[in-house]
Amino acid sequence: MVDKQDLTTLNRPDPLCKRCGENPSTHRIRSEQVCQKCFGQYITTKAVKRIETYRVRGSAKVARKLLLPLSFGASSASLVHILDRHLQGQYDRMNRVTYELYIVHIDLDIDDEDRETSSMLLEKYKARYPRHTYSSIGLEEVLNLQIIDWNNLGLPHPPSTDPQKPGMERLKVLIRSIPSTTSRVDIISTLLSRLLVEAARTSGCECILFGDSTTRLAEKTLTETAKGRGFSLPWQVSDGMSPYGIGFSYPLRDVLKQELLSFCSLTTPPLTDLIIYQEPSSHVSSSSKLTTIDDLMTQYFQSVEENYPSIVANVVRTSSKLKPLSMDGTAACGLCGLPVEEGTDGIFGWGGDQNPDARPARENEHHGILCYGCSRSING
Amino acid sequence: MSPALCAMCRASRALIIRPKNHQKLCKACFIAIFEAEIHHTITSTNLFSPGDRIAIGASGGKDSTVLASVLKTLNERYNYGLDLVLLSIDEGIKGYRDDSLETVKRNAVQYGMPLKIVGYDELYGWTMDQVVETIGKKGNCTYCGVFRRQALDRGAKMLGIKHVVTGHNADDVAETILMNLLRGDLPRLARSTNIITGDEMSEVKRSKPLKYAYEKEIVLYAHHKKLDYFSTECIYSPEAFRGSARSLIKNLERVRPSAILDVVRSGEDMARLVPEEVTGISQCKSQKISLSNADGGDEGAGGCGSSNGRSSGGEMAEMEKKLQQDEEAAGREVEITSVSSHANGQRHDRIGGKSHLRSRAQGDTGRKLLRQTLGTCKRCGYMSSQEICKACVLLDGLNKNRPKMEIEIDVEDEESSTLRRRMEGIALAAG
Repeated sequence: MVDKQDLTTLNRPDPLCKRCGENPSTHRIRSEQVCQKCFGQYITTKAVKRIETYRVRGSAKVARKLLLPLSFGASSASLVHILDRHLQGQYDRMNRVTYELYIVHIDLDIDDEDRETSSMLLEKYKARYPRHTYSSIGLEEVLNLQIIDWNNLGLPHPPSTDPQKPGMERLKVLIRSIPSTTSRVDIISTLLSRLLVEAARTSGCECILFGDSTTRLAEKTLTETAKGRGFSLPWQVSDGMSPYGIGFSYPLRDVLKQELLSFCSLTTPPLTDLIIYQEPSSHVSSSSKLTTIDDLMTQYFQSVEENYPSIVANVVRTSSKLKPLSMDGTAACGLCGLPVEEGTDGIFGWGGDQNPDARPARENEHHGILCYGCSRSING
Repeated sequence: MSPALCAMCRASRALIIRPKNHQKLCKACFIAIFEAEIHHTITSTNLFSPGDRIAIGASGGKDSTVLASVLKTLNERYNYGLDLVLLSIDEGIKGYRDDSLETVKRNAVQYGMPLKIVGYDELYGWTMDQVVETIGKKGNCTYCGVFRRQALDRGAKMLGIKHVVTGHNADDVAETILMNLLRGDLPRLARSTNIITGDEMSEVKRSKPLKYAYEKEIVLYAHHKKLDYFSTECIYSPEAFRGSARSLIKNLERVRPSAILDVVRSGEDMARLVPEEVTGISQCKSQKISLSNADGGDEGAGGCGSSNGRSSGGEMAEMEKKLQQDEEAAGREVEITSVSSHANGQRHDRIGGKSHLRSRAQGDTGRKLLRQTLGTCKRCGYMSSQEICKACVLLDGLNKNRPKMEIEIDVEDEESSTLRRRMEGIALAAG
């Protein structure tokens, strides 16, 4: 935990905050030495500015419902805190709010004990931020979604529809049948976002507020590129309407990961006991079998952020310029649901797939439309 | 356990695990499928027409040697009807080019192809060794790349040839895609993914028939065909963004072998998502930097840069500095405009005023870079989007015995060793 402070608390030649000129400087915003208060304000402003579309306008209307996915990481915890304060501010000023949060935790844990821990953690959130609606959904719920035709994905072991078997067991079989660690992580995160979108739809939320930091969005840009999902970037890093008909928004897109980690210890009381810290990625397994593309990119951008924070931000600015193609002539990928242009589905039949003889036999079987990325993760 | 049989012919013993998909193959089937895949690339993209005269950009390295060998084989096997010529550039790097040019000369005899060698000294009056002596080891890849780009085209023109093929492989293309994401250069990312580069208007077109071939498979092919190539890589280290992208690609390949191909696929898809206002015309900050800065790298290394992960890091530090200055400038801009909007008391004006101011500011600083219309260089007559082509600008700097990018030199003096260590940390830690 010691290094977490490094970026923001190093070198303090100037004892006073550059912004307010009153308090001693304890943190750093890019090149400025600032005090705790100004630092916290800076982070809050960056986030709140991004959801300005939901500010008060004209006469009273019904508050909009927004879904906030909570992973218990530093970013989503900060977002809950910041927006809770924002809403409190609205309430104090005008006795009403312009939006409501539906906070959803998707539970990826496999055993009951871990699930117990995460439901206790969610209770802590409810106690501290009681204004909002909360819900916890197990990932296995994805098997009940009507929108995914599990038998038409070309899966080696499609999850059986046997209602006797617990969903958890069926999900385990499905995940285990995926050929590599990277592919498993990829499929899990794909299923997670489908669940979130469905949760938003069924609860009447018009938009999902993701907690991704600048650093996370830069990681995502390169991770998705490396997984053959470059086509999906316009929806993964930019604010706007997703092909699912639900808006995607990234209010923390202008805040670095390290800045959020500092922020978590500044609130009163600190957010630290609401957060499950991921293992530092410098401990990424040395076995390439267990390392994932996501791990590689997390580690890479951790170092880049340390030395070249503006380059991290520039990567996100760059990938956010990509514009989605028109939806005409597209079909939805059977797994991730994103639009796939006619003739570009699957990992075969494009310029880089040059020889049908080189394909293992199983993959020639006919199945529904899959995008390149999903097809890669299913077929290895 | 009986030895595994080749997955394709099921007759011979499998000796090779294909780096691309881990298929187990015998030697003959590997060579056959490698060639068949290049043939597929060539035919599916209509790369050549019968009677075409093609110059093969030959460095003596593995990529271009394999390209020459495969093209000769396929040309004979499938009657492409091509007239193949080897074209080599002598950058003037002692201990690197001397030996590799000897290799190219032997290749010319082995493949029965005519050979043309063009030297930087005769084209520009500078060898790369002299350039490095003047500007130092950093940023020299920029010079080398810009010079080589023209050199190949000029050499082809001398031979009356309109099509140059280069040995850029899938690793190079993938590396370039990641590098351009890191540098924030979408126009270049989009261009680099095409198999044929060079504008329709340009006299000499470029293509990379090995675009989908893995570097590791190229090495295997060269090895099993016992090809005569020169294996020392350039002694000067790659530019930091490229070095960084390169080590990422290597790590990705280890984690998931298909990743190289997957990055290429992503790049092709993303190229179509780059909005028109971004392609070809540079308006955003990031492109301004890259256009005026580390350049010449539309495509992969093609013989430049080593894969040993040594990077100076100076380019990243320099870009970081520029981006930070831009950020600060942008911050000031917003403050001024919001003050003036307060005076107006009109919310709508604030938005309009801001964008107006910003575009004007950009027009002032970046006007020269805004239009990319193809013309010719006033100095040398070579095709260029600027009044004076990149090579001539660099030459001007050299001839004044003053480096063009002063900031870079400052940075190098103070920070180069620490930065290099940091970059090495980034490169190695991922392993």
